[in-house]
Amino acid sequence: MKVLIIIPAYNEALNIKKTVKDVTNNTKYDYIVINDCSKDNTKEVCEKNNFNYISLPVNYGLTSAINIGMKYAYNNGYDVAIQFDGDGQHDAKYLKNLVKTIENGQADVAIGSRFAEQRKPFSMRMIGSTLISMCIFLRTGKRLKDTTSGMRAYKREIIKEFLDNPTLTPEPDTMVYLLRKKYKIKEVQVEMREREFGESYLNPIKSIEYMCNMIFSIIFMR
Amino acid sequence: MSITLRIVLIICSVLSFILCIVKVKQSKMQVTDSVIWMIGTIVLVLMSIFNKAVEWIAMKLGFIAPVNFVFLIIIAFLLIQGFLADIRISILNNKVKDLNHYIALEEYDKNRKKK
Repeated sequence: MKVLIIIPAYNEALNIKKTVKDVTNNTKYDYIVINDCSKDNTKEVCEKNNFNYISLPVNYGLTSAINIGMKYAYNNGYDVAIQFDGDGQHDAKYLKNLVKTIENGQADVAIGSRFAEQRKPFSMRMIGSTLISMCIFLRTGKRLKDTTSGMRAYKREIIKEFLDNPTLTPEPDTMVYLLRKKYKIKEVQVEMREREFGESYLNPIKSIEYMCNMIFSIIFMR
Repeated sequence: MSITLRIVLIICSVLSFILCIVKVKQSKMQVTDSVIWMIGTIVLVLMSIFNKAVEWIAMKLGFIAPVNFVFLIIIAFLLIQGFLADIRISILNNKVKDLNHYIALEEYDKNRKKK
């Protein structure tokens, strides 16, 4: 199976080198870094280290970055595409478990979940995550524990799905869309690290906006 | 409707109507986009001129004052225009995203060939 790891990066000059090294050392899959028009020298870092990267001329957000990765994966005949954060929070050694799950035909989408086997800790973030889980359960009857995880592996049919429908985002509401289309989703236990450098994208206002978008999308639109 | 309001409505409508024409002449607006605004201003002028008709409709619909009916029509028009504008922004957004991707992929291929 041809596997592509999509690493979106926005202002991740300090993290990107380690992330790519982690991927290349721990897996034999292809990868592509998507530099979403970073303001820092992410592009130069990629160029200097001779990474396989695409550099977008205009900043367009995570959804667009994943989307161009999907285009690349589809055009180059990959069977599985994995979204993998460029900020060093994800651990590449778990990727083969995700791929294995898809290879065995157990799932069409494999989510790298922090809570597949472990309990959720209690924090603001996790309250949000639980709320989204509840909405997904209400809508589809399926229990997904770590819905907001950014580590997901998609089969080729779903890559096509992403290209055909530009409203799909690499977010939990798309899981609902896929579940309703009878695709199989499975969670695989992974560990994640705290980010070392740089700012997280989510601030309080963005978080509220994100929650509103997700809840409305899950309940009414997907 | 008071005579003052009717005069203000007519003056503003005529000015807006002229503005639409000027913007098209300056090539700052597409003809298709300006026509809907021009129709809107014409409707406002007609409502100011034939205020007896407006009063009659407003009364039949149960408005306390005819002016409320005029405002309601303006608000409805703006809401629809705002919504349509949002749809167009979404479509444009998607088109720009596709162009963005196209440029990036072309660039990628070019760099690949160089190496």
